[in-house]
Amino acid sequence: MTAPDRMRLGLPDLGIGVGLRLPHYEEIFETRPKVDWFEIISENFLVPGGVPLANLDRALAHYPVIQHGVTLSIGGTTPLDFDFLRDLRALLRRTKSPWVSDHLCWTGTATLNTHDLLPLPYTAEVVRHVAARARIVQDTLEVPLVLENVSSYLTYTSSDMTEWDFLTAVVEEANCGILLDINNIYVSSQNHGFDPRAYVDAVPAERVVQIHLAGHTNYGDYIIDTHSGPVIDPVWDLYRRAIGRVGPVSTLIEWDEDIPPLATLLAEAERARVVREEVLSHAK
Amino acid sequence: MRNDLASVQAFLASVIPGHAPIPDDPALAEAAARFVTGNGRLTPAAQVDIYRRQFWLRHREILRDDFPALARLLGDAKMDAFCRDFLDAHPPTRAPFETLIEPVPRFAEAWPGFETQAERTFAADLTRYEIALLEVRTGPDAPPLDPQKLASLPEDAWERARIVLHPAMRRLAFSYPVHRLRKAWLVSGEPAVFPDAPSPAHIALYRNRELVTHFEELEPEAFALLDLLAEGAALVPALGRLAEPLPEERQAHVAASVGRWFQQWTSLGLVVDVDLPSSS
Ligand SMILES: [Fe+2]
Repeated sequence: MTAPDRMRLGLPDLGIGVGLRLPHYEEIFETRPKVDWFEIISENFLVPGGVPLANLDRALAHYPVIQHGVTLSIGGTTPLDFDFLRDLRALLRRTKSPWVSDHLCWTGTATLNTHDLLPLPYTAEVVRHVAARARIVQDTLEVPLVLENVSSYLTYTSSDMTEWDFLTAVVEEANCGILLDINNIYVSSQNHGFDPRAYVDAVPAERVVQIHLAGHTNYGDYIIDTHSGPVIDPVWDLYRRAIGRVGPVSTLIEWDEDIPPLATLLAEAERARVVREEVLSHAK
Repeated sequence: MRNDLASVQAFLASVIPGHAPIPDDPALAEAAARFVTGNGRLTPAAQVDIYRRQFWLRHREILRDDFPALARLLGDAKMDAFCRDFLDAHPPTRAPFETLIEPVPRFAEAWPGFETQAERTFAADLTRYEIALLEVRTGPDAPPLDPQKLASLPEDAWERARIVLHPAMRRLAFSYPVHRLRKAWLVSGEPAVFPDAPSPAHIALYRNRELVTHFEELEPEAFALLDLLAEGAALVPALGRLAEPLPEERQAHVAASVGRWFQQWTSLGLVVDVDLPSSS
């Protein structure tokens, strides 16, 4: 059993948050709803000035804001983009985000940026490649780097370990945190036919710094992580299981497609709060 | 056949921007099976094809979001064709969306899908304007002009002083009044059609102190003067350079108008500072 102060790599539990999304700005700034924190997509704020940064400052005046990125491409084979990392670090100084997250994936090559989050082959060689890059990123950004498991729609012939063993090996070798996306575990488990509970049970609990919950779209032969619609019951069950293992960890509802009224999103966040408190009070 | 990380990524990057389903191409399907396992429901090629479809849907959405007036003008099918051809000609190579959309006006200027050169010119103007709207929204901030500073300038300041324009402001010259047409289509809901004839326009696109973006139509001479000021010329020498090639009657017009222009630019927040070099 890990000592409580070593859980979350010593990073704070911020409670329950939601993604800060454009259609909700005015209502959030006017009504200041009861939500513990917001997550932003860092790239949307890597601009010289104007509207996005003014809105960010309005959010920062009242809420903690955590930076979540989508373009780091930690598993890419092109060189790391140090201009991008410098801009990201400048934004971290503005937000004072205690950690910064991005995905355990690759996004493109020298000839194509897919603007997508593609899975990596799960091999020891790729672990070494990704961990070496993650260490450099973490040193450059000067805040803990937290890597999120992605949803995937294919598996590679070269993979010779499970996704959870791969994730564990990367974060241990790089000494970074995990953003455990429970919906992504569920989506990938359905697409690839593994037991999602085995995944949740296997990740190193003390490294889980943040959790994502989201909805998805089921196309029959496969499921896509669209971040649309409410969290489904099997994902809530996995969330209970995860909280039982990792304890009080900052949890975020992602909803990016068919964005609902703020009240609907906040109701989903309240559900997460209730579920989390139930599990934590049982554990006591 | 290599199966290391770089080879896997090179293969996927080569097929993801494709138009046709990967399972329909036997050679690609065979290559996919070397890298990708498939499962009981999907072949390796069908798994890869999910990413190919997502690539198209994602980039089509980006282009439609950033160029809503072009999308209205072209309609769904033609906008799709435009997006397909654009992504073929300019596949995204970097993460920021600004770098993805930057070549759109140049591409529109030569796109064979338009029927006439006039349509191409119009589309280039329109997309240049739609990019400028995005740039003004996120351009650098600048503190407003200090009226005290303006009042305390010495008599001869305008001979030497550099007039600092708002760094997020864009000056745009068009063959067609795309700024007015875009507003009519998207705000007033008027039908989007190519205009019959060109009608040149010069505008300053800027955001006000509440960060709301507006356009201001400028006389051609006022536009040219702003250009000279943006290059760093002081007001008096800039006026000299501006007047030189003009016929007498336009020179007189500039002389009579410059006070009014300058007052308008300061009140709109286009001028943010007057930088007087210390005389030695
Ligand atoms: Fe996520």
